[in-house]
Amino acid sequence: MNDLTPTREQRTAALEGMGCKRKRVEDIRFTQGRGNYVDDVKLPGMLHGDFVRSPHPHARVTKIDDSEALKVPGVLAVITAETLKTVNLAWMPTLAGDVQMVLADGRVLFQNQEVAFVVATDRYAADDGINKVIVEYEPLPPLVDPFKAMDKDAPVLREDLVGKMAGSHGPRNHDNHIFEWTVGDKDLTDAAFRKAEVMIKEMISYHRTHPSPLETCQCVCSFDKIKGELTIYGTFQAPHVIRTVVALIAKLPEHKIHVIAPDIGGGFGNKVGAYPGYICAAVASIVTGKPVKWVEDRIENLTATSFARDYHMTTEVAATKDGKVTGLRVHVLADHGAFDACADPSKWPAGFFNIVTGSYDFPTAHLTVDGVYTNKAPGGVAYRCSFRVTEAAYCIERAMDILAQKLKMDPAELRLKNFIKPEQFPYHSALGWEYDSGDYHTAMRKMMETTGYAALRKEQAEKRAAFARGETRDIMARHLVLHRDRGRRTVEKLRHPGHRDVRLLRDPYAPDRGRHRAGWIKKPRPGPRDHLGPDHRDRDRHSRR
Amino acid sequence: MKVNGAEVEGLVEPRTLLVHFIRENLQLTGTHIGCETTHCGACTVDIDGMSVKSCTMFAVQADGSDIITIEGVANADGTLSALQEGFRMMHGLQCGFCTPGMIVRAHRLLKENPSPSEPEIRMGISGNICRCTGYQNIVKAIQYASAKINGVEFQEAAE
Repeated sequence: MNDLTPTREQRTAALEGMGCKRKRVEDIRFTQGRGNYVDDVKLPGMLHGDFVRSPHPHARVTKIDDSEALKVPGVLAVITAETLKTVNLAWMPTLAGDVQMVLADGRVLFQNQEVAFVVATDRYAADDGINKVIVEYEPLPPLVDPFKAMDKDAPVLREDLVGKMAGSHGPRNHDNHIFEWTVGDKDLTDAAFRKAEVMIKEMISYHRTHPSPLETCQCVCSFDKIKGELTIYGTFQAPHVIRTVVALIAKLPEHKIHVIAPDIGGGFGNKVGAYPGYICAAVASIVTGKPVKWVEDRIENLTATSFARDYHMTTEVAATKDGKVTGLRVHVLADHGAFDACADPSKWPAGFFNIVTGSYDFPTAHLTVDGVYTNKAPGGVAYRCSFRVTEAAYCIERAMDILAQKLKMDPAELRLKNFIKPEQFPYHSALGWEYDSGDYHTAMRKMMETTGYAALRKEQAEKRAAFARGETRDIMARHLVLHRDRGRRTVEKLRHPGHRDVRLLRDPYAPDRGRHRAGWIKKPRPGPRDHLGPDHRDRDRHSRR
Repeated sequence: MKVNGAEVEGLVEPRTLLVHFIRENLQLTGTHIGCETTHCGACTVDIDGMSVKSCTMFAVQADGSDIITIEGVANADGTLSALQEGFRMMHGLQCGFCTPGMIVRAHRLLKENPSPSEPEIRMGISGNICRCTGYQNIVKAIQYASAKINGVEFQEAAE
C-alpha cells in the first residue's frame, strides 16, 4: 500500500453507493412548487365525483331520490348501490379477507359512510348535486363500545354475515365477532400464573388514531373504451394491491389496468387501503367514458378512511419476588369498525402483535386477540409501518413499568434482569419468533450512561421529596425511551418462516424514495446517478413480485 | 390581479375560492390544498405583503391585488432562492406537500424580520402544519436562509 491508495471512505464516496451522504433529488422540484401530486393531474374532459355521506352511525337507508340532483347544471350522474348492483360492484373485498360496501347497500354502518356518488363537470357542481340528493334514513341503535360488541343483546351490524359462524380467519362466536387469534401455550402459561409469586393485571388501551397525511386520499380514473384499459392515478402506498382489487371488482385483467402513484403528500399507512372513492371514480369513468377525479376533503379523510390502533389489551405478567418474569398473558379486544379492512401484510389477523414478549425472556406466553365490529369507520392500518408492533411494544413496556412499580424496583433494573441474554441468541420466543442476534444489555447500559440515568433518578427523587415538603411546584416528569431495536424487528419480520417477502409486497413508498432508490444502485461509470433507479411509481414498469 | 409579477385576468363565480382559481384557472399547482379550513397552511400565498391562506378566501376578494405563489419565489435568474436552498440543504421537507406553503410563509417572515430568533421562527410558521419532519429541520432551513440573506455564516445549533 502506498500513499496513493484511496481510503475506504474515499472509495465509498467515489462509488456513491449505499450509505453515501447525498442531497435529495426531488427537493429541487418540491421547493419550487413543481411536485406532481394527484390533484395536479388534469386530463382533457375530466369530470369530478363527490360523495353523499351518512349523518348516522347506524341506520337503514329507506330511499334515495336523485331526481333533483340530476337537474343541477353540470351534474351528469348519481351512482348508488342499486346502480352498482346491476354490474355486481356494490361490495368490494378488503385486504383482510372481509367484504365492504362500496356505497350504502340498504344500510349505513358508520357516520360519513359513502351513500351516493355524484359525478359532475366540476367540483363545485358535484357539491351542488350532493346537496340535492334526498336520502331517507331509519336510525338504528349504534354500537360504539367494543366491550359491548359481543353482548347477547348487542345490535347486529353485519346483516350479510348473520348466521355465518366462520370468517376468513376461522370461527366466529357472535354476529359482531370477526375472528379469534390464539398464539402460545395456554396450559403452560396458566401453570406459570398459578405458581407466580407476583402478578400484575392491567387493561392497556391504545386509542383509535388517524394517520391524517397532509394530502388527503384522491384519484383520477381514466378508462379508454377503445383499448379497454383503465389508468388510475392515485395517492397509493400499495399500488399493487389497488390494481388487484380493481381488477377483481371491475373484472378487467390486471395488465389492462395501469396504476400510477405520482408524488404522494404523506401516507402514514392511510393510503394503503382501497377506498370506495377509487372504485366509484373507476366505475364513473367506465360508464361516462371520461376521466373522473375524486378528491376527498379533510373531514372525509378523518372520518371515513382507515384509522389505526384501537387495541384494548388486557395484560397480565407473572414474576418471581425478585423480578424475574415467568409468564405473559395478553387478551386483545380489537375494534375494527364496520368492516374488517385491516392492512397487515401477514397471514395473521393481528399482524405482528405476537412480538408482544418484546426484548424479554418470557419462558411462556399466551395471546388471544378478538376482533369485533362496531359502528365506526373501517380500518386498522399500519400507522407509520407498525403492523401492530407499536401496539405490542406499548403493551409490554407499559406492563414492565407496572410490574416495576409493584415490585418497587427501578424499571431499568427490571428490564436488565429480564432481557434476552447475548448467549441465548438465536432466541426462540414463546410466541413463535426467531431473534437472530442482539445485545440488549450493552445497548441499555450505554443509554443509561449517555443520559446520566442514575443522576436523573436522583434528581427526580430529590424533586419529589421537595414537592412533598411543599417546597416547590416544579416537578419534572422524566420519561425515558428505553432501548427498543426497531431495525431488528424489521429483520425479524423478514426472517419469519413463510414471510420472507412481507415487505416486498408493499410499495417501496417513502417520502425519500427518489434518493433512496437512487442509492440502491451502484453508480455506473461515467455520469451522474441521480436519474437512475427503478421507477416503482408506474406499475407497468415494475414486476409484481 | 398580478401573480408572480404577471398581470392575470379571469372570470369566476363569486364562490370560487382563490386557491382553486390559482390551481385550476392559472394552472399554478404548487399551491396545495390540505384542509380547506385554514388550519394547515399548505395553500399559503403572499397577498400584498401578507401571508394568506388561499383556501378560505374568494378569488374575487383578491381582485386587483399582488400575489406571490411558490412558483414566484425563486431568484430572478431561475436559481433557488436562499429559502428554497435552505430547505434542500437542511432537509426541511420529506413528502413536499406542505413545503410551498412553508416557504411562502417563511419568505414573508424573513421580509418582516430578516434575523428571527428560533422562537420567533417557530411562532412565525405556527400556522403551517408539516406531518413529516417534526419542524426541527424547517426551523434550521429558515435559519440557513436568514444567515445567507444577511451574508453571515450559518451556524447549525447543536441539538
